[in-house]
Amino acid sequence: MTPPKSAPTPPTAALRSSSTWVLIALITLLVVSLSSSHAAAATPSLTILSPTEGAVIANGTPVLVHFLASNFAFVQPGRVGQVGASNEGHANVFLDSQSVRLLTDAEPFWLAVTSGAHTIRIQLVADNGTPLNPDVSATVGVVATQGPAGGVPRVEILSPGPLESTGHGTYVSYRIENFTLVEPRGQPNAPNEGHVQLLVGTDVVMEAIQYEPVLLVSLPEGDITITVRLVNNDNTALSPDASATVPIHVIASSSVTLPLVSNGGIALLLAFVLIVLILRRRKAGARQSNAGRGNR
Amino acid sequence: MNARTYALVVATVGMLIASGIAASEGRAAPSPTLSIVSPTPNAVIGNGTPVVVVFAVTNFNLTASTNGTSSPNSGHVDVFVDGALAVTASVNTIVLALPFGAHAIRLQLVAINGSALSPDVTASVDVVVTRGSAGGIPGLSIVVPRDGALVGTDFTVSFRVTNFVLVAPGGPAGVPNEGHVRVGLDGAYHATLTDEAPLHLNLKDGPHAVTLELVGNDDRPLSPPVTVSINLTVQALLGRVTPFDATPFLALANLLIGLGILAAIYRKLEAR
Repeated sequence: MTPPKSAPTPPTAALRSSSTWVLIALITLLVVSLSSSHAAAATPSLTILSPTEGAVIANGTPVLVHFLASNFAFVQPGRVGQVGASNEGHANVFLDSQSVRLLTDAEPFWLAVTSGAHTIRIQLVADNGTPLNPDVSATVGVVATQGPAGGVPRVEILSPGPLESTGHGTYVSYRIENFTLVEPRGQPNAPNEGHVQLLVGTDVVMEAIQYEPVLLVSLPEGDITITVRLVNNDNTALSPDASATVPIHVIASSSVTLPLVSNGGIALLLAFVLIVLILRRRKAGARQSNAGRGNR
Repeated sequence: MNARTYALVVATVGMLIASGIAASEGRAAPSPTLSIVSPTPNAVIGNGTPVVVVFAVTNFNLTASTNGTSSPNSGHVDVFVDGALAVTASVNTIVLALPFGAHAIRLQLVAINGSALSPDVTASVDVVVTRGSAGGIPGLSIVVPRDGALVGTDFTVSFRVTNFVLVAPGGPAGVPNEGHVRVGLDGAYHATLTDEAPLHLNLKDGPHAVTLELVGNDDRPLSPPVTVSINLTVQALLGRVTPFDATPFLALANLLIGLGILAAIYRKLEAR
């Protein structure tokens, strides 16, 4: 005969029942919290605030990049015991596909850029360096220049003046606005930067990168035109064209005709000597004839 | 669910939590590593821009702090350029403004107190900084005058350089895409040009050969050589209009008058 199973006492049963519910609630809470961290976490996003697309980075200055990352925590990669968590990592910055920064915070940063068009790309990556899934990156294109950001390039010839008479060599002075002269080294074209071409007639006779007057020599004699033209780094004309033309008259200088003058002068001197000699001879002849008559 | 089951569950959860927390602190952390992501070895940094060094570490906490308890897994990075300490970094990007030439960059992980780790953890990369372009083949051409041109005694030579920057001689040797232009005149050295201002020449009448050549800071030709030559004919008074050149006639007149003077003097002497 089996002894009758003793029924649990009321307080013990109540305790067991409540503990069960507490345990179930805790486990549910844990499961919910674990799953919600993956399912409900907002997707990271990334926006480049400045510069704006197509912005001109002027005067050879570096570009300051402001960006905003949402739902993403920046942490230093490679920390001790680091366990990759979702929506956590760092950012890689690429300038024209070249890695130039590894960002562990969302602070603005400077990038040195050379003249020409560039692409800046920021990519959020996980702690282990792998891109997020889906990829989160932002790209902006900028154009860097040594020149000013705005304004229309202009050039004006200050000297010689229109229809001025000059010798075969003359200084050409000009004034340039909204344009910076740089050495053409094969770099890409950039807004408001380039160099100067000087033309006599339609022929390019000189390329210059100086703001000071330029000496043109061996100018052909007669009525000619001198043109000063602003051009891009690859020697193409600006659009719209920026040039100035002045007509001048080139005449021979006195030094050029020196042989002619000296030859003529010597000829006159010799002729004078010859005439004097002839006159003196005639005079002497006349005296002799007068003396002959007197003796008779 | 009985009491044993509760105890088992609670114990298991507790052990899991405890093991997770304790393990990270208690276990010996793996050794730190250091690698340079950018620049690549022997990279050419062009246009005189700063060198951006991007590096990665593992099992190492970068901190700017120089106080506190030193541990083998936290500290900062000492950056050496050509053997000399240049800067200390606690972030993964370093921007170095280096002079032109070849440089050896070495990064070293150090503890908070600045002492090297044991074993030492370093990474190195060699770079070359140039004022010229980072890539491209240097080029040189003469814009004015053209080959075979007839020029006056006084003339200028305008030239164009690409993928190369002209600098004063004497800089470090072996720096790519920078140097100067050596000018040869009729096979002999004539001048050195360190900027792109046109070359002003004043030559005697006749044929001449002008040669321009790009050379490095050490005055040696590039490899392969980059040179351009033009042949010219110099003619005085070129481009000058002389409607009637009386010079030869005057010369003849001078001669005749001179003879006349001599004849007159001779006859005068003879008459005496």
